[in-house]
This record gives sequence, structure tokens and C-alpha cells, in this order.
Amino acid sequence: MIQNYFKIAWRNLMKRKFYSLVSILGLSVGITFTLLIGTYIWGELQVNADLKNVDNQYLIQSKWKQADMGVEIATLAPLAEALKENYPHLVENFYRFDGITSTFANKDKIFREEIQLGDSTILNMYGFKLLHGDATTALNQPYTMVLTAEQAIKYFGQSDVVGKTLTVESFSGSKKDFMITGVLDKLATNSITNLLNSTKSPVLMSFESSDYFGRGQFNTWNNPYNVGYITLKEGVKPESLAKPMAKLIKANAPTNISDNLLPYLTPVKEVYREANNGIVKKTIFTLTMTALFILLMAIVNFINISIGNSFTRLKEIGVRKMLGSMKGQIIRQFLAESILIALVSLLVALILFEIFQPIFGQILNKTIPSLLSITPYFFVFAILLALLIGLLSGMYPAFVLSNIPSIDSLKGKLKSIKENIFFRRLLIVSQFSIALFVGVGASVITKQVNYFFTKDLGYHKEAIITARVPRDWSPKGVEKMETIRNEMTKLKEVNNATLSYEIPETNSKNSIGIYKMGQDSTQAIYIPSLTSDDKYLETYQIPMVAGVFFQNKESSFQAGKMVLNEAGVKALGFKSPAQAIGQIVRLHFSPQSYTIVGVTKDFHLGSMHQAISPLAFMNVKENTIFRYLSFKIREGNIAESLSAIQHKWTELMPGSVFEYTFMDDTLKKLYQSEIQLKKASELATFLSVIIVVLGILGMVSMSIARRTKELGIRKVLGASSISIVMLFLKEFIVLICISIVIAFPLAVISMNSWLTGYAYRIELNWQIFIAIAIFFSLMIAFFVFLQTFKAALTNPIKSLKTE
Amino acid sequence: MLALKNIFRWYNSGVNRAFVLRDVSLTIEQGEFVSIMGPSGSGKSTLLHIIGMMDEPNEGEYSFMGHSVLKIKEKQRAELYKKHIGFVFQAYHLIDELTVYENIETPLLYHGIGASERKSMVADILDRFNIVGKKDLFPNQLSGGQQQLVGIARAIITKPNLILADEPTGNLNSKQGQEIMELFKTLNDEGVTIIQVTHSEKNATYGSRVIELLDGRIER
Repeated sequence: MIQNYFKIAWRNLMKRKFYSLVSILGLSVGITFTLLIGTYIWGELQVNADLKNVDNQYLIQSKWKQADMGVEIATLAPLAEALKENYPHLVENFYRFDGITSTFANKDKIFREEIQLGDSTILNMYGFKLLHGDATTALNQPYTMVLTAEQAIKYFGQSDVVGKTLTVESFSGSKKDFMITGVLDKLATNSITNLLNSTKSPVLMSFESSDYFGRGQFNTWNNPYNVGYITLKEGVKPESLAKPMAKLIKANAPTNISDNLLPYLTPVKEVYREANNGIVKKTIFTLTMTALFILLMAIVNFINISIGNSFTRLKEIGVRKMLGSMKGQIIRQFLAESILIALVSLLVALILFEIFQPIFGQILNKTIPSLLSITPYFFVFAILLALLIGLLSGMYPAFVLSNIPSIDSLKGKLKSIKENIFFRRLLIVSQFSIALFVGVGASVITKQVNYFFTKDLGYHKEAIITARVPRDWSPKGVEKMETIRNEMTKLKEVNNATLSYEIPETNSKNSIGIYKMGQDSTQAIYIPSLTSDDKYLETYQIPMVAGVFFQNKESSFQAGKMVLNEAGVKALGFKSPAQAIGQIVRLHFSPQSYTIVGVTKDFHLGSMHQAISPLAFMNVKENTIFRYLSFKIREGNIAESLSAIQHKWTELMPGSVFEYTFMDDTLKKLYQSEIQLKKASELATFLSVIIVVLGILGMVSMSIARRTKELGIRKVLGASSISIVMLFLKEFIVLICISIVIAFPLAVISMNSWLTGYAYRIELNWQIFIAIAIFFSLMIAFFVFLQTFKAALTNPIKSLKTE
Repeated sequence: MLALKNIFRWYNSGVNRAFVLRDVSLTIEQGEFVSIMGPSGSGKSTLLHIIGMMDEPNEGEYSFMGHSVLKIKEKQRAELYKKHIGFVFQAYHLIDELTVYENIETPLLYHGIGASERKSMVADILDRFNIVGKKDLFPNQLSGGQQQLVGIARAIITKPNLILADEPTGNLNSKQGQEIMELFKTLNDEGVTIIQVTHSEKNATYGSRVIELLDGRIER
């Protein structure tokens, strides 16, 4: 019987090739998109899934009452260890690390690597497997390290490198050999090694090596910049740690911290999805909805065409009933047909999947696996999806048609024709609404993303490159770097250069407590600091509002000077920039007082999600930390300028790598997820337009076929070609209007809520909506016109004859 | 075999009832060959549909082989006509997507008959009707007479006791029509009860009895 169903289904498909093609094309587009997104989501859900005992793993995060005192992802350095020591009945284990970067070298193979200076517990606690070396002892000794097989191959060309050494640079410029005691197997993405950098694995070093990097004294209760993890004992709820944490902080941390800090535990398996305001979670949600909607649109086409075709199927149903078919058998036959279409579409979709998988991976910045290497569950899911689509889209026609009395169907009477038209229009309106909504969404997102790159940032990002420099964080080291900077500036290819700790990449994470002379230190306001030399202003071309940037060009360095931005002036409570000049302030944990000598205009140091925050410029000569040299290069031949700088760099700093980034690219990284969203929404718009067009082709051609006789009569009676076209167009115009009324308010609401995530954003204006509405209407009119015009031109005698 | 008693069938058109059948009573015995005649709109087809259980009267009683048709459940009724009744139509009503062979086979599928038995039954019928050579053709590749032959083959393959034919020769030329009527005669001689609706006096002569309808009433 089933065989019989499928045989007839197949013949029906072949008989109505055009309609089958429209259905199959639309459905396969929808299925491809769903499968691609499904694979992406699957991958995202697999993050952290491989960690040992993952249900009991937690990350200690921080809420600060006063912003900028610390970062959310980190906590006080000794907290995790103290929890384990004081509450062994609650806490099973802990891992804490200090994230730094340094340069590693094996002879001429020199690379910069991220380092986790952490506890030796990491390997066992998360079940990280070593390819080589002994996991129980690997991180016990100072000056040892564990790296990944990939890194081992990068330096040595092989993975078994236990016992070999790499030269590691400290922050004071000295070099020392570290022994490799373990090589990690390839790790799946997880929130331990990839917490700070999602693509690069860090080198693991034992906490005992901290002294070498000058961070030995960092394990204190006033350092809120370490990352802390704990494993809870089986059955312990994370809430039960709230009091112990508060107690420990109260007892140990300085009051300015304990008054402001509220630590909380986040399950490690949620860290990745919740990070950056839950960007991954939001992306998953948005993409799931988009896939569902695109799929829904494709199903709408399919249902519409099945219903349209059902007029021609009535006789067959009548005959079958008369031959003794039960209602259920008719239903099954129709379902078999729609399932067959869905399965054929799945086949097409799998081919499309293979073709578009790399492109889609690029858009989402993730590797989407090819069909050849994918988990078998994928195919199970794909087939279930196809079956579900088949059932969903076959259901309505199947039940409606099988319910028509057999005599009526033999005579070809569709009693429920009115209701039918209403249902179909409802489907079309929902389809159009989705397309309009997606279209508005995509254009708003595109506008906002363009705004990121065209808005005046308060500095000039053009022709600026930045490069990390070797560290020697001492007054001598600063002096040396400044000499190098001056040498570089002498190059004719370099207009300006500056040495600094921060570049306009993210908001500064180093905050300092500042209070006015005469105030108590508890009244300090925390303001992010930017440590730089006095060339920063010129290089980035940031305008001054009042005073000077540290000192006049001709005068030399004087200690105790500070520059604020306008927001900083406000934050400290000065009435105007001019009034702030000459004021003396004091810093937490610093005996020295500082004079405010200048105020810059506000500029975007971080992304446009947040408002420009207050900023205090510290002179690198006093606060001897630095990471970057920024160059303003001469416009013109960029490749030439770069090679000139490269040349000079190796001459001045032999043994260090010149890895530069253009400011434009740094900014792109800042808005990575928005750029992704933009690309994804453009893709969704494109797909929904395809599906709408397919649907219109199908529906109009069906309705022409049904109304051939009517058209013939109208033409005989003298109707013009245009009026014939209008006959079809009229219906669609009404549907478009209804769809606009539904889609646009929803778009306004959701896009406004999306835009509120940005402190700096575009305004929604009516031009966007008008443009989308006009484009959409013209597109539909064009395709309706294309299809009907031929019918309108044919000789009426012909069409009347065929009836 | 079957008995209709005081059958009424009407449609509501606005406020008025448009009667199609008024107070029709009729008894037909096993082995009869009945022709229902009458002008257009006299209710012939409706009567045939009611007998064939494809339509229900608004009032009246109908008993078929001892079952009170209007009182039993739909499923039982379906079983009843599936088992005992075969239909033949003026417009043949073959399924366009199926070959001759498959069209004839379809009722057997609905009767749940096994594959091998199906094969031999269809082969027998094709043989008997001399259409073996046409078994893989589709309906639109056949002449009207051939299509009707397939239609009859399909109707009798389940060995029904009763064949209902709605103007079976209406779309055929006289020679083809004659052949079809001869076939019915043969079937009737084999014991199958036949009820046909026809306009043609000539066709009516093949039958044993003529019922004339006018405006929904039996005239004769």
C-alpha cells in the first residue's frame, strides 16, 4: 500500500513539474538554512560539554557597585583557594589563574603566546588529557610549562617535546629557559583555556613562576584581576557559597573592595553562552527564530501549491472513495506525497549544505563540519526534520480534501472554497510579513554597523597600525622604548608614533581610585586609566579642550601630572574643563599627588555599546607599563611603509616579532558579532526574497491556469492587457498592505529594543520603512506582471477553446 | 436484495426546499437488471447515489441485504458497499495517474488482498476483457470505449453482487455502447444485479425492468 502511495505521489510530482520544482526549491532552501543553523547551534552547545564533572564546575564572577573597580569575569586572586581551604565540605577543588602574554622562542622561532599562570590542579580538575608527560606532576615545579600539541609543532616540528625548553621573556626584559613538562591533546573549545581568547589556546605555567614575571606579590586580596574557578562537592548548591564568599572577603579584603564587591557563581557550562551579555545565547536565539521563519515561509509555499492543486485532485479522491478507500487511506496518501516532496527537498538541501557550508561558516566565524565528517545524529535529525515538514505541510490539504463528500469530489465541487481562500491569504500575509520584518531588520542592522565605522570616533583611525612590543616594565625599559619610538618616527614613512598600554580597542580595564585633595580616600571615584607617553594625542589626533597634554612640546617631563577626558572631568565633579585645570588630586595606594594639567575631548576608547567612560591619562614615565607602539603611517604606498617599519623594528629590537594590526581591523574585531549578525540578516533577507518570489510564481501561474476561461471572456468583452494584469496584482497589493500593517510595528518594537543595546545608535526613520515597502511591492508587482502579461496577450479564442 | 421506503431527498435553497426525491419506495431483487429513466433533473443520479450509499436521504428507510443502511455506523456501511457494490460512470472516472493495470488493481488494495492473489485476479480480468496488451497504458492513451471497459473491469474485480452504472454509454458511440451493454447482459446472466441510469430506450431494453422518474417521483 505504502509503495502504491509513493508511486502515485511520484507520478503526481512528475506530472506537475513546475509546481513540484517551486515547492522543492523553496523547501530545500529552508531546510538547508535550518540544517546549517542546526549544526552551528549543535557546535555551540558542545562547548564545555567535554569537561570532567561539568555540572559541578563554577566560575567566580564579580558584580561591582561602583563601575570600573574591576572586571566582571575575574575575582580577587586568593578567593578560590581560600574557599577550598576554609570550606572543604562545600568545595572539592579550585583553579585560579593570572592571564598574561609574553614572547616565547626556540632559536629563530619566536612567537607571542598567552599564558595562564595558574594552579597545578587544572589538568586533573577538568580531565584535560596529556599526549606526553605526566598530568599529576606536570605543573608542580616553577619554570615548567604545558603547551598544546599545535604549539609544540609550531616551535619544534613535532609533538613529543617533553624535556625540551623554550626561552620565555619576562616583563623586565630578562630571558629564561622554561622546561616543557607536558603536551596537551587537542582541546575542544571550553571556558577554561578559551575564557579570554576563543580561538587561541594559552600556555599553562605553574603559579610558582609568577615571581619571574614580577607578579609574585599579586596573589593578594586587593587584586581583583585573577580568574577563579571552583568545583563544588556533589549536591552542593551554588547559592550556599554566597555567605562563605562574603565572609572571606569581609575578613580579608580592604574595605573599599569588600564594600563594593558582590561575587557570584556561574556554572562553567553557561559561561560561554552568557559571556558578553549573553551574545552567544542571543545569537542562537536569533538564528533559531530566523531558521524557523524561513522554513515556515517555504512550508507556506508548499501548502499553498498543494491546496491550489487539490482542485485537480478532487476527482481522484472521489473515485478512490467510491472504490472503497477509507478516509484515513486518503489522508495517508496525501501525507505520503508531501513527505516524498520533503524527502526530495532534503536531498537537494544536503547538496546545498555541502556547497554553502564554507560560506556560512565564514559568516558565523565558525567551522561548520562537512557532511563527510559530520556526526550520524545529523542525518537522523535531518530525516526527522524532513518527515515533520512533510507531515506539517501535507496535513491541511489531506484533512480538508478527505473530508469532502465523495459525490462532491467526483463532481469537482469544492464547497469550502471560501474558507480555503481565506486560509491561503492568511498564509501569504504571514509569509509577506516575515519577509518584510526580516528586510527591515537587515537594513536597520546594516545601518547601525555602518554607523560604527563612519561615526566620528573622536580620533583618527586612518593609517594607524599598532604592534605589541617586548616588555621591560622599568624606568629604564620605558626610556629604551621611547628612544626606539623616536628612531621610528625619524622614518619618512612614519608621521607619528606613540608608546602606550591601551589602544582604542576596549575600555581600559585598569581603574584607579581618584579623590580630590582634602577628601577622604573612601570617597574615591574609580576612573579607567590610559597609560601613554606624551605623543598619544598627536598620533591619534585627539583634540584638547583645555590645558596641555602632560606638558608643552618644548618643556621636558615633570612628574605628578595627569590628563582627563571630558567625561572624567564630570565624574570627578568639576564644573568645567577649565575649572579642572590646576586642581590637585590623589590616587589610591599612591603617596604622590597629581595635578590635572589638561582635558581632552571625549573619544571612543571602547565599543559603542557603552557610553564613553571617564578616562585618566597617566604618563608612562611614572606608571611604567606599556604594551603597544602605535604608528601613524604616511598615506600612499602602505606595503612600502610597512616593510620600512619592519626593517627598522628588527634592527632596533632583534629577537622580537613585528606583528601589526590596522586600527580598522581592530575595530572590526570589536564589532565582530554585529558584523556577523549583519551578514546573517542579509542572508536571511536574500533567502526570504527567493522564497517569496517562488511562492508568487507558483500561485500566480496556478491562478492563471484556473482562470483561463474567465480571462478569455474578459478579453472578448474588451478588457485591456493592463486591466488583466491588474486583476491579479490587485489581490497582492491588498495582501502587501495588510502585511505592512502587521510587520512594521513589530519591526519597530524589536529593532528599537535591539538598538537600546548601544549607547551610540542610529534613529529609526520612516525612510527605511518606505524603501523596504516600495522595494517589496515593486518586486512582487514585477513577478506578477511577468507571469500574467503572457496570459493577457494570448488570443482569447485559444483560451476559450482549451476549456 | 434492497428495499427503499418513503425516501425524501432535498436541498435547502434559501427559504425553500428543493426536492430531488419525493417519497420514493422501491424494492429490487437479486439478479434483476433495472434501468432508471427520466428527463434531466428528475433525480435519477441521486437515487443511484443513495442506493450506492454515496449520498444519504433526508428521510426514509433503506435496507440492503438485511442491513438497515441508515442506522449503522459509517465504517460498517463502508464495509458493506466495499464488499457488495461496484460503480461504473459515464465519465469513466479512471485515475489519470495510474496505468490500466493499476486502476483495476486499486480496489483490491483497499480490500486488503495480498500481492500474489491481486496479480492473478487482475490478470484474469485483463484476459477476460481482452485488454492484456493495454495494461501498461494510461487512461488518456485509450479510446472512450476502452476506458469504459477498464471502468467495468475495475467495478467487477471485487466480485460485487450489485453494479451501479450511471449512464455508462453516455460518452460512447453507438457501437461501443452496444458492446458495453452486451457485457452488462453477460454479467447479469452470471447472477450480478445491475442498476443503470440511462437516457436511451434501446439500452433500457437490455434490462428486465424499467423505473421511470419524473420530478423526483416514480411514475412507473
